[in-house]
Amino acid sequence: MPEPLISARGVTRRFGDFTAVDDVSLEVAPGEIVGLLGANGAGKTTLIRMILGLLIPTEGDLSLFGEAPSRETRARLGYVSQGLGLWDDLTVTENLAFVDGAFGSAATPVPDSLRDAGDSLVVGIGLGGQRQLAFAAALGHKPELLVLDEPTSGVDPLARARLWDTVRDQADAGVGALVTTHYMQEAERCDRLMLMSRGVAVAQGTVADIVGDTTATEVRTPHWQQAFTALNDANILVALAGTHVRAVDATEDEVRAALIEAGVTADLVPMQATLDEAMVARERATV
Amino acid sequence: MSAWGARELTVTYGDTVALSSVSVDVREGEVLAVVGGDGAGKTTLLRALAGAVPASAGAVDAPSLSSIGFMPTAAGVWRDLSVDQNIDFVASAQGVTGATLAERREQLLADTGLEGATKRLAGQLSGGMRQKLAFALAMIHRPPMLILDEPSTGVDPVSRVDLWRMISQAAVDGAAIIMATTYLDEAERASRVLVLDGGEVLLAGTPADVMANVPGHVADAVGTPDRARSWRRGSQFKTWSPDEPTDGAARADDLEDAVIAATLAKETSNA
Amino acid sequence: MKAMIQKEFRELRRDKRTMAMLIALPILLLVIFGYAANFTIDDISTRVVGPGSEQVTAQLPDLFEVDADAAAADDDADGDTQTALDLVRDNKADVVIDTTTTPPTAYLDGSSLFSAQTAKGALAQMPDGAVTIDVLYNPDLTTAWVMVPALIGLILTFIGTIITSIGLVRERQNGTLEQLAVMPLKPSDVIVGKIAPYFILAALDMIIVTLLGVWIFDVPFNGNVALFGVGGAIFLFVVLGLGVLISTASQTQAQAIQVAMMILLPQILLSGFIFPLSAMPAAISWIGYILPLTYWVNISQGILLRGADLASLWPSFAVLAVMAVVIFTAAVLRFRRDLAPSSRRKSQKSSKAGK
Repeated sequence: MPEPLISARGVTRRFGDFTAVDDVSLEVAPGEIVGLLGANGAGKTTLIRMILGLLIPTEGDLSLFGEAPSRETRARLGYVSQGLGLWDDLTVTENLAFVDGAFGSAATPVPDSLRDAGDSLVVGIGLGGQRQLAFAAALGHKPELLVLDEPTSGVDPLARARLWDTVRDQADAGVGALVTTHYMQEAERCDRLMLMSRGVAVAQGTVADIVGDTTATEVRTPHWQQAFTALNDANILVALAGTHVRAVDATEDEVRAALIEAGVTADLVPMQATLDEAMVARERATV
Repeated sequence: MSAWGARELTVTYGDTVALSSVSVDVREGEVLAVVGGDGAGKTTLLRALAGAVPASAGAVDAPSLSSIGFMPTAAGVWRDLSVDQNIDFVASAQGVTGATLAERREQLLADTGLEGATKRLAGQLSGGMRQKLAFALAMIHRPPMLILDEPSTGVDPVSRVDLWRMISQAAVDGAAIIMATTYLDEAERASRVLVLDGGEVLLAGTPADVMANVPGHVADAVGTPDRARSWRRGSQFKTWSPDEPTDGAARADDLEDAVIAATLAKETSNA
Repeated sequence: MKAMIQKEFRELRRDKRTMAMLIALPILLLVIFGYAANFTIDDISTRVVGPGSEQVTAQLPDLFEVDADAAAADDDADGDTQTALDLVRDNKADVVIDTTTTPPTAYLDGSSLFSAQTAKGALAQMPDGAVTIDVLYNPDLTTAWVMVPALIGLILTFIGTIITSIGLVRERQNGTLEQLAVMPLKPSDVIVGKIAPYFILAALDMIIVTLLGVWIFDVPFNGNVALFGVGGAIFLFVVLGLGVLISTASQTQAQAIQVAMMILLPQILLSGFIFPLSAMPAAISWIGYILPLTYWVNISQGILLRGADLASLWPSFAVLAVMAVVIFTAAVLRFRRDLAPSSRRKSQKSSKAGK
């Protein structure tokens, strides 16, 4: 097995009394896309900042390419931040020229989709174009590891699919990637996921591993309003899907009992819970 | 029942056409999800329904402002005020007082899980908590119509499920809800979906309708895919073809494939 | 409406910067205009040089404050015309009376505009032929001549604090500061690269304003250009340092502008170029003496108008140099902290491991 690009063992970061990241272990291997999921404040950003070398772990071992994060490791890493980190008052080509200068890399070509916009200010090329430019800037120095913090929020589905094509092409070429996302479809595109909650890594593995045995029951009835209210009142995690009601992480018997209590008749169809439903179920279980 | 909504609505800002002949119904007891990327026209449509943007052509059909609950993007709470003070202010502005306010405050705090945090400044709440509070505030006067501009964008999946439960409850209680979202999994759970692209309607209808109305069809790629018409789901390529699917086969497996296919179809016909 | 007003008050209460402005600004303005803004000169620092200085001193109106200790220390009674001229040039007194001529000559320092105007008026009241008046450095007592050297400093302060802090905060606000931090750039490269353009622009501005002052307002440039340049550079480090400090304490450009304005305003009013510091009560004037612009005004007027050299200006140079080192170092250290993790954490960790 090749040496992991990121290797975190028992990494903890405290700010005063607050533990932002608590004993987290994570590996990202070449060619692998690892998704990092969790609520805001779950510790994702702190973990990423440690990997980028912007924060030093309070405890634990963290190495990139087998060494401690440093200026040298940063040169081998490509980062797309949530805010994209582009200079608004520079043109597309000026942005790439600056990044090339900073990394000492050869001239990064302007992405095809922005070919006619090379002299446009970044402000004027729209969010979709900006995301593509941020990707191009992050890939220009041929990094071995990509760190992508919510890389596609706000773009339309086709543009998102195109950005993911880029990530997957990189992975096929041996680049590793760590991606945070709130999009479930994006999470499902990762090879492996790590789920964080309150600084702790609560689950790791494939989507199937994380969904595990979390159940969902689809309640089909013309009286879906009453069914929704009845299940909600019975403290069952409930969501509306069109005019169907989904009851999550409750047994069929519990669901049936709550419906009978309220006098609602319905067909119950057991289904696989979705990834986000499974995440909520875990979150509720830990409270 | 006459539905609220927009009829052949066109909105222009100077030379820019933000919305082009968009028609949509917003019905009581339903959640209508408006989907599209940045600049698709989602916010313009919502603002036009709220009467904040004048129609250049066509018409908007919406109740008076006092019957609308509006939740703008990434706002709707006052960060320098505590949770309690936020409730006081919005309730007072909407004329909600006395026993009604007491009862709704209690329900709001229970729904949002903020019972223990009423003295906390809204600015110190997590993003998910803040959006849940903003939603609860937008509907404190129980308006028959709710206009929500990306209530869940940037909100973590766990809070999003919670927020969706609150929105569902409002629809169950009879409100007509229109919400913009960038999450297709969320849109797939709405009663109906309106997909906008560059100010035009790309697809519209129930999620099932939308998937059935895709031009051509989407299939797993075989051999070396044509990258211009293909994209990956996981490590597997999918390809859109303008041809009709074989009998009985679905045109698209989910809303995401449907939207990507429709966008590709539009690009192809424009080219 | 009541709800609206209540909400506004509640929010304002928590907006500390705005509250500070609401409270500090009126107090500042009241104090300055009530006590400090005083064009009337009650005392004029005076020296009398040459034989018979005691008799002349006795004849002078009360307005002229002769420093007897300094006179004794410098043996003023033994001095001649050159001694008198040197005293004016070195800013030892605003009025120096030379008794070696008949009648005695009163040299007035035209670069201390208000003192010179007041002294001129008072001396004119004396009997005809009692004293000859000679206004040095600014013979027509032109306001612009005194203002332009000070304005150069004000413009540099403006660029250094407001423009620099806006430029730096923009990087933070857009999230590109983080992007810089993760690039393989040395923190020193980022800091120098970020500040140098503002230094160059401010230096160019300084040259342009000085040249315009000389051409348009005929402001004389009597002193050493190189010395002026060195003083300008030191002053620039002070104000750029202030700008960087402001940026490290601000999250948004609006905040940066608010703080910069609160630093700029007292400098305009209390650095002595509009209202003479000597006419202010000590309770206020001390503020003027901690402001960098005060020392720049001293240096700039000294070099341009009086042709003063380092021998007399060194105290102002020394104060500015100390300010430059302290402020600029603090600014760079704080900026650096935003770019690179502190190694302090590392040592904490190792000390923990050693337990």
